[in-house]
Amino acid sequence: MVAAFLSQWVRVPARRVDGWSVGVVALCLFILGPVVALTLTAFGDSGGLWSHLVETVLFRYVTNTLMLMVGVGVLSCLFGVASAWVVTRYEFSGRMFFEWMLLLPAAIPAYIIAYTYTDFFEYAGPVQVALRDLFGWQRPADYWFPEIRSLGGAMLVMASVLYPYIYMVTRIAFRLTPASLFEIALVHRKSQFWSVGLPLARPAITAGLALVLMEAVSDFGTVEYFAVETLTLGIFNVWLGMNNIVAAAQMSLLGFVFILSLLGLELYARSHQRFSATSRSLAPLRLLHLNWRGQLACQLTCLLPLILGFIIPVAVLLKYALSDLMRGEIIAQLQVLLPTMISSLLMAAGAAILIVVISSLIVLAAAYRGGRLVRNLALAASTGYAVPGTMLAIGVLIFAGVIDRIYGALISDPRQTLLLGGVGVLLVAYLVRFQAVGYGAMVSGIRRLPDNMMNASRVLGQGFGESLRRVILPLLRGSMLAGGLLVFVDVMKELPITLLLRPFDFETLATHTYQFAKDEMLEAAALPALMIVLAGLLPVVLMNQMLRRAG
Amino acid sequence: MMILRQVESRPHLSAIKPRLHRILSRVVAISMIMFAAVPVLSAPAAAQEVNIYSHRQQFLLQPFVDAFTAETGIKTNVVYASKGLAQRLLAEGQASPADVILTVDIARLSEYADLDLLMPVSSPVLEANIPPSLRATDRRWFALSKRARVVATSRDRVAEGAISSIEDLADPKWAGRICSRPGSHVYNRSLMASVIAANGMAKATRWAEGLVANFARRPQGNDRAQAKAIFQGQCDVAIMNHYYYGKMLVSDEAVQRDWAGAIRLVFTNQDGRGNHVNISGGGVAKFSPNRQEAIQFLEFLTTPKAQQLYGEVNFEYPVNPAVSPGGMLQDWVDFKSDSLPIERLSELAPDAQKIIDRTGW
Repeated sequence: MVAAFLSQWVRVPARRVDGWSVGVVALCLFILGPVVALTLTAFGDSGGLWSHLVETVLFRYVTNTLMLMVGVGVLSCLFGVASAWVVTRYEFSGRMFFEWMLLLPAAIPAYIIAYTYTDFFEYAGPVQVALRDLFGWQRPADYWFPEIRSLGGAMLVMASVLYPYIYMVTRIAFRLTPASLFEIALVHRKSQFWSVGLPLARPAITAGLALVLMEAVSDFGTVEYFAVETLTLGIFNVWLGMNNIVAAAQMSLLGFVFILSLLGLELYARSHQRFSATSRSLAPLRLLHLNWRGQLACQLTCLLPLILGFIIPVAVLLKYALSDLMRGEIIAQLQVLLPTMISSLLMAAGAAILIVVISSLIVLAAAYRGGRLVRNLALAASTGYAVPGTMLAIGVLIFAGVIDRIYGALISDPRQTLLLGGVGVLLVAYLVRFQAVGYGAMVSGIRRLPDNMMNASRVLGQGFGESLRRVILPLLRGSMLAGGLLVFVDVMKELPITLLLRPFDFETLATHTYQFAKDEMLEAAALPALMIVLAGLLPVVLMNQMLRRAG
Repeated sequence: MMILRQVESRPHLSAIKPRLHRILSRVVAISMIMFAAVPVLSAPAAAQEVNIYSHRQQFLLQPFVDAFTAETGIKTNVVYASKGLAQRLLAEGQASPADVILTVDIARLSEYADLDLLMPVSSPVLEANIPPSLRATDRRWFALSKRARVVATSRDRVAEGAISSIEDLADPKWAGRICSRPGSHVYNRSLMASVIAANGMAKATRWAEGLVANFARRPQGNDRAQAKAIFQGQCDVAIMNHYYYGKMLVSDEAVQRDWAGAIRLVFTNQDGRGNHVNISGGGVAKFSPNRQEAIQFLEFLTTPKAQQLYGEVNFEYPVNPAVSPGGMLQDWVDFKSDSLPIERLSELAPDAQKIIDRTGW
């Protein structure tokens, strides 16, 4: 789905400039606009703040960020790859059930899981209460219990909801691995996983990992609540505490560099390897049968991430929502929430359609029309994902402000806006942020097509557009749907951008949840939070259907 | 090759066009639906209206805007966000629809003034209702309510009177017994600024070091979470805004009432400069399209009725000296508050953040 994020393209001879490439270059530049605006801000004068930062907090910010990246990366790879491996390779009871359940944590926003985990694991939470009852402890001094609001807690919480990004792509990769290769490993008494499955799935794992790490670096809600001093938290301290937007923008770019260098490293490490991912397995991959011990191990492998990423947070939310139900307030609450739910769904659907259309245009042009410029721009246009949401929103504000000023001058009414203050600016911001998701889905889809599909169609006398419509697009329908569904779920969860850019009196489920959760009123936040999860369920189930067909 | 190129370039143009048209028309249709549907969800625009950018949460603001609309018939539209509204206003420039800016904490309020986003307002009503120390000398911002940042102590484990000044919190005898939210939060930053104003940078730094050395746990959570930590026995002393105590006392949740029951509020420095106070406040946006209504709204917020509402909704103190706070607030109203000009707090905020960074609060 997001596979082949970083993969090499099909080689196409350089082409002359045409309408497609010009249009797509313009589109990419538009998407890059907010990131460029932020970069320009970073070129301002930060008033000598850096020497203070270097002296005091920067080291802490950087090490915490790196540790968070490593921790979240390792944990989510463990969860994602292990569960993907057992559901694709082994037969055990509950396999079909786990196959789609394992995607569910993707529907839970990281900031919500942070709140619920605190509620669950803190001193007054059910876990510690039970432990105290069991062992007769009286006071906090009587025993040691890991602090959930910590760097380790943040790693666990984030990995628990982010691993599906890796699970999704890795599962496809395992399934597309030719059965014959596994058989060769069997014959040579080598581990099927270590010598075949893992090496061949590496590009896919990296692609998923890239998304996970970008999410981890740009997260604000969880690190703020857990008071983990990462770069993103530092950005806000500098911006709001020291009124220094320039230094804040510079720090955002630093985080950005982290991600890019990481991805660069992986690309370099892989540059001498060549895989052909297009070979379809002729014989279907046969699942291996296990004794009861093996089955149990498989079930536990699947159950652990599911419990951590879905069952615990949903149970905590349900507990609060049900206490609302007991008080008979649930009907009144639902009436308030209905319009909010509708605007959430509309925005998510709108953004999903927009992003699918635009990333399809970009990726198709990059694959079949573009030279190096178009391809690099297409990749660059998907970097908005790595910028913390609020900072990206500020980039969008500056960029949209410029556009609105030009528009105002054109119609000679400076009070009229085209973007700001409407849902338009929100859609633009979602596009900039989640283009990476659509782009990844489309690139991996195109990569799975045989290289000569387009050429074959052209030789048979079809024009370029006609070939796209009749041959390529139908084959990409799955990827488009997959990208769209992922974007839909992401926009449902999105908080900081919506909060800052929304029109008057405009609420989504995420903003509605936040105003209560922020004030430690989880009881009021529970129902809207559950509705976010609920709205994410259907896309997740649909996605699973497609993943299954992809295999 | 040449021939091939020519052949392929013609049909593709003609083939793309209808395709593109179809895609485009669909995109346009979908976006039209989106744009049409969203305004329908919110009520249609009234003749008179006022647009509010608010840092205060919707559920706190709602009673005020409801009362205002009931009294004047002026419709209100609100955007609530806790961060970045100043940047939004800046980007919107002349085109901004915002009329009124409402924030909590003087540091945020003066950020708007510093960025030249507020206009001077001359209103005899505002000047009569708000004491001069609680409004900007250039008439660009006005305090609307006051809040005290106080010390909460455990009823069971800390004797009454054991802490009398904020400086006491750095005393090593509290080692391992104090809880706080992170220093970078705007409330703590302003408190830090008030300590700098009173004692100077060097002493304030030493105070912060002592405070941090006394923490029972890494700074975390919000103010309510500190009361909860005292209730749970994780710490004995905490720093919090006074109104959280009231809100917990009347909470629907029994557990929150328990948290409140476990603590006692200490108004600090009563023999000296007084307890640190901060404000919530507002101003009129520089390019406000409805400035009459905007001023009317600010004036409304200083009337006795609205000033009482601050106490009822959020246990905050009135700024209007003619109004006595109602209900439970009455009991805590007689305390001496720091007379430091409130603008100093925002001037010292960057220094305060530097100390916070250095000491790791």
